[in-house]
Amino acid sequence: MLTKVHHVGIVVRSADEALKFYRDALGLSVTADRVIDDQGVRGILLQVGNSEIELLEPTRADTGVARFLESRGEGMHHICFESDDVGRELDEARARGIEVIDEKPRAGLAGMICFLHPKSNHGVLVELATPVAGGHQP
Amino acid sequence: MSVEATNIDHIVISSNDSAATAALFTKNLGIEIKRTMSRPGTGAHLEFAKLDEVVLEFGGPQQTAPVAEVKARLSGFVLAVKDLEKAVASLRASGYETSEPHAAVQPGAMIAAVKGGTHGVPFALIQYNALPAANRS
Repeated sequence: MLTKVHHVGIVVRSADEALKFYRDALGLSVTADRVIDDQGVRGILLQVGNSEIELLEPTRADTGVARFLESRGEGMHHICFESDDVGRELDEARARGIEVIDEKPRAGLAGMICFLHPKSNHGVLVELATPVAGGHQP
Repeated sequence: MSVEATNIDHIVISSNDSAATAALFTKNLGIEIKRTMSRPGTGAHLEFAKLDEVVLEFGGPQQTAPVAEVKARLSGFVLAVKDLEKAVASLRASGYETSEPHAAVQPGAMIAAVKGGTHGVPFALIQYNALPAANRS
């Protein structure tokens, strides 16, 4: 069961530049800031109420985030819903015939995560996440 | 002076068939649509769901004919603030341009859009209970 919007993901050219608005001007607190090497991104989470805003800056050119930036420019990339069991959500999604990107949950900035294919949601990229106990992935 | 955002108020998902996209999110993700409306004079059809404190707004044109291929996208979000006038003043002091605060569709609420500097995200701030009851539409 999805319990809330965990975060909205925004692809940016420069996370440092984007922080000038999302952190400095809006006054939001950074809760995680990490380079995820296997995904080729620097990801930053900023808390707002019970949800977060995720800034994604590609760190190399051969990633989906880099291709998104190249083709569409900066902007909203995905929406992430929180679940208490992302593995179960993924199994149920597959059972309903929903096309998925990740065959099994993997570690991400928001916890254990997986992505559903945008083809299955009219073009909207959907992430599901189960946060790890005690906060974000180190 | 600060913006004092309290939460994401709503996220907009635009679609060329918003009813179909909302129905798909219900089918695929179990997201329950709480309200639908057609906005008079605009030709828009809106459907709303709420998860915790965040509203998902599915918006698009009223359908007059079947859509060959439904296409949707994330098209902006709105943060709720405690005091919109102060929030707008804070952003302007930081060099960001905003619209003048004006009455929102939501009864009693005021809204202002941030123009530029949001890194490609259509973005606005909203304050609820900002208008006296007599002025609410």
